[in-house]
Parts: sequence; structure tokens; C-alpha cells
Amino acid sequence: MSRNQILANLRTSLASNRPWLEEVSRSAPHAPPPFVHPPAADLVAQFCEELAKLEGRAYPVADGEEALEVIGRLLDERNARQVIAWDLEQIDLPGLPALLAERGVSLLDADVQGPGRKERLQTLEPVAVCLSGVDCAIAESGSMVLRHGPGRPRLASLLAPAHIAVVRRSQLVRGLGEALALLRERHGATLFDATSHLTFISGPSRTADIEMTLSLGIHGPPEVHVVVV
Amino acid sequence: MSTHTLHFFDRVDTALHDATLRTALDRATTRFVGNRAGAIGALSDADRLRDQARALRAYALSRLDELLERLAERVEDRGGHVCWASDGEEAKRYIAELARSRGVRSIVKSKSMASEEIHLNEALERAGVEVVETDLGEYILQIAGETPSHIIAPAIHKTREQVGALFEQHLGMPPTTEVPPMIRAARQALRQRFLRADMGISGVNFGVADEGAVVIVENEGNARFTTTVPRIHVAIMGIERIVERLEDLAVMLQVLARSATGQKLSVYTSIISGPARPGEADGPEEFHLVLLDNGRSQILGGQYAEALMCIRCGACLNACPVYQSIGGHAYGGVYSGPIGAILTPLLQPDLPDNHLLPHASSLCGACQEVCPVRIAIPDLLLRLRADAVKAGKFHPIEKTAIQTYATMMNNPALYRASGKFAHLGARLLRRKGRIRRLPPPLHLWTRGRDFPSLPAQTFSEWWEERERQRRSG
Repeated sequence: MSRNQILANLRTSLASNRPWLEEVSRSAPHAPPPFVHPPAADLVAQFCEELAKLEGRAYPVADGEEALEVIGRLLDERNARQVIAWDLEQIDLPGLPALLAERGVSLLDADVQGPGRKERLQTLEPVAVCLSGVDCAIAESGSMVLRHGPGRPRLASLLAPAHIAVVRRSQLVRGLGEALALLRERHGATLFDATSHLTFISGPSRTADIEMTLSLGIHGPPEVHVVVV
Repeated sequence: MSTHTLHFFDRVDTALHDATLRTALDRATTRFVGNRAGAIGALSDADRLRDQARALRAYALSRLDELLERLAERVEDRGGHVCWASDGEEAKRYIAELARSRGVRSIVKSKSMASEEIHLNEALERAGVEVVETDLGEYILQIAGETPSHIIAPAIHKTREQVGALFEQHLGMPPTTEVPPMIRAARQALRQRFLRADMGISGVNFGVADEGAVVIVENEGNARFTTTVPRIHVAIMGIERIVERLEDLAVMLQVLARSATGQKLSVYTSIISGPARPGEADGPEEFHLVLLDNGRSQILGGQYAEALMCIRCGACLNACPVYQSIGGHAYGGVYSGPIGAILTPLLQPDLPDNHLLPHASSLCGACQEVCPVRIAIPDLLLRLRADAVKAGKFHPIEKTAIQTYATMMNNPALYRASGKFAHLGARLLRRKGRIRRLPPPLHLWTRGRDFPSLPAQTFSEWWEERERQRRSG
């Protein structure tokens, strides 16, 4: 009922204002710019610099081995015995399962669906580290793009006080326009078939709600560590 | 002068005499204005990006019927449910009935202007459901029983001492005036609320028609928890907040974040399409999208349609000299500042002081200057003023005064005489070089301002004297 009423009202309204709106619509091109800042020569350096401005930590490393060393150190420093992670094959870093096994770090089953949801959430809550890959990363804003869906839990970048992410140099794009174009190129019209939740993450959770004082980690992870391989 | 009219002036009065509020507003708006200017200035071509944002908003509005149908259809294709709500009552009834039928006892909410517009919390609480605001600022206000003073920093008027006392009382936190322990206490308390909630309610920054998706931007992560952890997610969207394609976000998100806080992108941008997919470990089992009209479909056909382009960034609030002085409380409605003075009369038409809001502006144009979609705010404010006069909302004496003024300005002799008369009056009222109180009915004007004393000579006297000296000298 309301649906038809709302649509009828809209059509009546547009009968008078559509020409004006269409004129404004034609006043500028609609195609988004691939990036909006002057392009940097070195995307890795730009990404790391932007992430640092957001109080995130970037670790540019030469190869997979060095990446594993960094991740091992971060896990040790947090005394992490358990992690919530994407399916490890969805994180593009060979040797990661072995690294976790070596340290006796177990992967928690993040499945909370069905009855007993709240109890399982309580079990997951004390976990110290989240571990994920990315679909791409945006150099000019220091952002990571994560497609969430089966094998890629949303909690694996949200629940714990530290989020460690692995980014491949080849996954870096200049701007948001390029990132969205890349997703479209890879997944076409079926982007949201397997993805229920597409998330851009730019640094640690922040708030300035008390006296404009910047504080990290009010809800999401206060620590964001990005290993750039 | 009706008592309703006094309410608005009283609120302004209270705000102007609240030193804490004014310091806080000054700090917040100065910071936001500076951050925005820096972020917009760093763009390769800010003007082009804003032109694009405006064109995309106009495009979406020009096909709003078609895009909404597409959005609804695709949300349903993904297993979501859609409620078309003509007004706040329908939206509230749908959500309350949903909560009842699913046995929901506790709800977590992330910031949503649309839900505040229809007073959703009160309706749900009346239905016996506990509702917790989870944005830190909104949470502080909820336990304090207050309303937002700023769109982006809602609790800016609370000092750290006041927040510490509230947390001591409500969270059992040891007394402190340090911010970090307050953040930790709030994180812990709200984390438990998330994990125990049966339903999450969020707002929507943009619907994406082609993808059947909604976009939510935030910095804290409370919206991610709200839309991920509880079994049911309800998103409330004003019907005008739509784009056609995912790619359009590459324009809209960038102007939004920069205009709101000076960020390149908000910390978290979530693009959500329906409930969790089969085999997905987390995410809601049910997704409901409430499409709220509440007058918007009619506004689209009138002379204020342009206001529907607004993306709620708050830049016009920060830039406005009136808002900088009185803050959000004084406006009385959910939407404050220059755009609020337009949106509140349109979306909350029952508020008694609405006809006065368009006068809370010096028409300096700073709002239009910073608007990411270039809404002609001063022009719309003038039209609202004219409407209010036509509707007989003002005392006839005002009309007479304006007509007298027009006659004077059109007649040089009358104009000169009135200048001399005003000088005489000003001399009588002046105390220490300033006029603190004008006689009634003009005293309303001086309730929040000093009237500058007039110089010894009128301009025409000064000019004549100057010319005389030049000729003789």
C-alpha cells in the first residue's frame, strides 16, 4: 500500500521537477575519477605514510619470509594463543599455517550462526588478535578493502584489540575509484553474490567524542598492523 | 508574541549564556572548519569533484521512483525484507512488530538521523525493548538524558569531568577526569551490549540501487558491530539517500568524509547487501530495510527539492556563524544549522518554532560555499522566510515596519531625516559606547547581541562636510 502511495507521490513530484534535476544532472560528468590526489611515484611508500598518519602501523617487507617474521613477532608480543582469521588459503601468504602451528596458535571457529549465537560470541570475545587478507588497498588514503563472505568472517577484522592484515604490493591501487573499478573487473555484476559485506578500513577505530580528544579503539581494534609484501 | 515564539528565543538565550557550550562549540567548529579546508584544498580538483557530487545527487533524485524500486527488488533478491514507510508511525510500527514477533529484548543502535527524526527509541522503549545507543557521544547523551549539540560531535558540550561522573554513576567506573580510562570503560560496557543484543538498528548514508546494498560510514566501529553481531539487522534510510551504481560512491564517499571531518575516507565504510550468505560464519540472519518517506516524496515536487540533495556531512553547521554561537540544541529539531533550518520545517512540520528557524542565519553564504553538493542554502532560507510571512506567521507590525523601511529607503529626504532621528535615539540609549538593550519590540534583537552605537555623524553629514572642505581647501 505505502509502496504504491510513495511511488505515486514521487512520480507526481517528478512531473514538475524532473527537467530541472536532469539539467543539473547533465552539468558534470558522472564517471568517477580513479584517484583524487596528485599521483605518487611509489604506491607502497604512499600507503605506508597515509596509514601512519591514521595511527596504523605498516611493515613494508621484501618477501614472504620477512612477512612471516613480522607476523610471528606481533603474535609473540601479544602472547596470542588463539586468533580469529579468514580461511588461511584466502590470505595470500604461503607458510602462514605452518607459522601458526609452530607457535601453537590455534584458529578459533568464528561460526556464530544458529542457536547458541550469544554464547559463542562470548567465547570469541577475549581473543587477542584478528588476522585477515585484503582484496586491495588504496594508497592515497591508507585504506584496505575487504570482501566479507563465506571463509572471510567480518569479526576477523573487528573483534580483537589487534588486527593484522597481509597486503600484496600487487594489490595496491591509487584511489577509491580504481579500487571499485578493480572489484568490478574481477567480479562483474556478481560482486555481491558471495559477498554480503564489503568493508573499507582506514586505520584503527577512533573517536573524539570526549572534549575533541582523539582516542583509539573505542569499539573496533585500537591496533592495525599491515604487512605489505 | 506567542509563547511558542519565546521558546526558540529562550533556547538561544540559554545557549548564548552557557560558557562551557560556547567554548566547546568554538573548539569543535574551528577544528572541523580547518580540517575540512585542509582536506578539500589537498584535492587535485575539488571543484570538479563537488560538481560531480551535485550532478550525481540530481541524477538520483530525477529517477528516485525507479531507483528505489530497483533497490527494494535487489534487497529482496538477496533474501532481505523491505518496508516502505509513508511516515514515522509506519516505520515504528514495523520495527516494533518485528521486535515483538522475534522475541527481541535488547537492541543496539548506531547513529541514525532518520530514526531520531521519527523518535524511534521512545516507541521501542514503550514496547518494552531496551535500546542502547552505541556511538560514544550518543551513548553519553543517552545516559545523561540529553540531545546532541553537534551532528558529528554530539556530546561536545559535555566536559570530561561531567562524562567521568556519568560513567562513575552508570558504569561503576572509579572517579577520574582522564579520557583513556573512560574510553576503556565505555568499550567494555558497550561490547557486552553488542554481544547480548538481539537486534541491531543502523542508519544509511547511501543506498546503492544496482547492488541492493546500503552504505554506512563511521569511525568508531559501532556500526560494524551493530550490523554484524546481532541476529537481526534493521537499516533505516530516508528515501532520498540513494545512488544508482557502486562506482558513484567513489565521488560521494570522498566528498562526504572530507566535508564532515577532513578525513580522506572514514575509518570504516561498510557496504552491506542483504543478510549473511549461506556458509558465512557471522553477520545477521535477517536483514530489513526501512525506506522512510515522511514527507520527502512531496518535497521533491516543490521549491525545496534541492534540500533533498543533502548528504548530512555537517560542513554547513561548522561554517555558520550563528551555529558556531548557539549550537544544535537551540534549533529544537533533529536537524540543526543552516540545512537544519530548511530540513526541520520540511521533515518535522509540527514543531512550533519552525517559522523562526530560517531567521537563524545572517545569509552570509558560508554554508553554500562549503556544501559538497552546492545546495543554494541562503536562497532556500529566503524562500522559507517569504512562505512564513505569507502564511501569516509573523506579527503584522513587522510587515508595517519593513514597508516603512522600504518607503524611507526610496525617498532621500525621508532617509536623511530618519538617520538624524536614529542618531538622537542612539545617543539616549548608549552606555559606554554600546547599546545593550533596544526598546520593545526591538529588545528581542538585543537579547543575544549588543547594538553598535552610531558614530557622531551620519554618513551623509560626513560626506557633505568632506565635499565642503575639499571645495574650500
